[in-house]
Amino acid sequence: MLMHQTNIQLRIVKDRLFLALVVLLSFAMIAPLLLIIFHIVKNGIGIISWEFLTALPKPMGETGGGIVNALAGTMMLIVLASLIAIPLGVLAGIYLVEQKKGAIATGVRLCMEVLQGIPSIVIGIVAYAWVVLSMGTFSALSGSVALAIMMLPVIVRSTEETLRLIPDNLREASLALGVPYSRTVLKVIVPAGLTGILTGVLLAIARIAGETAPLLFTAFGNPYMSLNVLKPVDSLPLMIFNFATSPYPEWHAKAWGAALVLVVFVLGMNFFAKVIAKRWKVQF
Amino acid sequence: MESPVLRVENFSAHFGDNPVLKDINLSVRHNKVTALMGPSGCGKTTLIRCINRMHELIVDAGVAGCIYLHDDDLYKMNPILVRKKIGMVFQRPNPFPTMSIYDNVIAGYSLNGIKIKRDEKDRIVEESLCKSALWEEVRDRLHKKGSFLSGGQQQRLCIARALAMNPDILLMDEPTSALDPKATAHIEQLISELKNNVTILLVTHNIAQAARVSDFTAFLYLGDLVEFGTTEKLFTVPDDKRTEEYLSGKFG
Repeated sequence: MLMHQTNIQLRIVKDRLFLALVVLLSFAMIAPLLLIIFHIVKNGIGIISWEFLTALPKPMGETGGGIVNALAGTMMLIVLASLIAIPLGVLAGIYLVEQKKGAIATGVRLCMEVLQGIPSIVIGIVAYAWVVLSMGTFSALSGSVALAIMMLPVIVRSTEETLRLIPDNLREASLALGVPYSRTVLKVIVPAGLTGILTGVLLAIARIAGETAPLLFTAFGNPYMSLNVLKPVDSLPLMIFNFATSPYPEWHAKAWGAALVLVVFVLGMNFFAKVIAKRWKVQF
Repeated sequence: MESPVLRVENFSAHFGDNPVLKDINLSVRHNKVTALMGPSGCGKTTLIRCINRMHELIVDAGVAGCIYLHDDDLYKMNPILVRKKIGMVFQRPNPFPTMSIYDNVIAGYSLNGIKIKRDEKDRIVEESLCKSALWEEVRDRLHKKGSFLSGGQQQRLCIARALAMNPDILLMDEPTSALDPKATAHIEQLISELKNNVTILLVTHNIAQAARVSDFTAFLYLGDLVEFGTTEKLFTVPDDKRTEEYLSGKFG
């Protein structure tokens, strides 16, 4: 009996220890993110000002200057890449849901998995070969092509997973009213899954917003303001790379500031995606 | 005697090599309720899904024989046109979750891109909701989402959606199987009222329901149409021994 009691005591202690360990390690998970944010905010917040966000960079030696060219460039790259990737990705996702089996669907799924695993620098090289070489110039367009390729797997997968959860009887309800298949998909199925698709798109944008490698020899970077899709543009990660690898402390400070802006944007996208998924959830 | 709205002639259906319906002959009379009754797996749902050509949406599914709507062979028509003329109500209420009550009722028009005037729309919505006995309950919240209604109300909304298209015949696939007894009673009462204006083909696995609401009853068993006649005759003096056994609860 006594033996039994101590045994139970020991097991309770062990159980508590295990729980403490799990909680501790969970907190350890949060630590890197908090440290990164802390570090970036500490180093970057000092330089953030209205001028920093709205002025062009100034040559070395002059004080002031900002990152507006990179902000505009990043926005342009994101919009262009989205224009390419969203229609393709959403349509492919729809196809994969409708066509569960079949050689093409299996092929597409496999391709998307492989594509997700391809290093971004390789995608950059391919965009360079396709777009930059054939057009003879670095351009925002070529950068967008590279980023769009990176967005595709995320959008395809989130579209497929979202639409798969939509009950079959909804499709039947529409078809039974004599609604053609294409209208059923576009006006019933996609609206019902719009929140999920949108969430996927936002996460895809968050993913590509910080990409540097695929832009190195496509969008290339540009110290001046450019809104021409056929000309090189700057982007936040490229600018961070260029500033951070320079030997000047003033430029390092700007790199921290740009990093802060970028991180805030990416976290904002993630947060926004969560809010949308919760707020506009469709009740079946 | 007037000609039937729907005639099923020597009709068979299969999934792959598996026959589901064998040589069915059946006719549905104007403004009457015809019940298809039988144990699970007898093919009754398949039969009504063949009538609005939903059966063929399943891979490997096929049919033989003819179904006539008035004098038109349904299998020579475009399935989209067939489904516009034949309304359907499903086992589980399935209003469109992204649409308001109003938009749900008018969905047959809006989803098909049929342009109608605002006051015409209002008239169709009110009329359809009145027919499905839902108007009084939802008239103040027509522009709220349909998915917040109760199960029984949702099913009546789906009935209104089908009626809005003025179908030649309304197919109902066990419309009360997902509802509680009170909502079921409500729907049954509605069916009795509707038959003054609408031809209804009702699938049910509930013998009592077939007896309560239908004028004609067909008994299907293992893909065969065992017996078809007026409900009164089939329930009192069935010709076939299997019908008698089914009605007395020996199987099914």
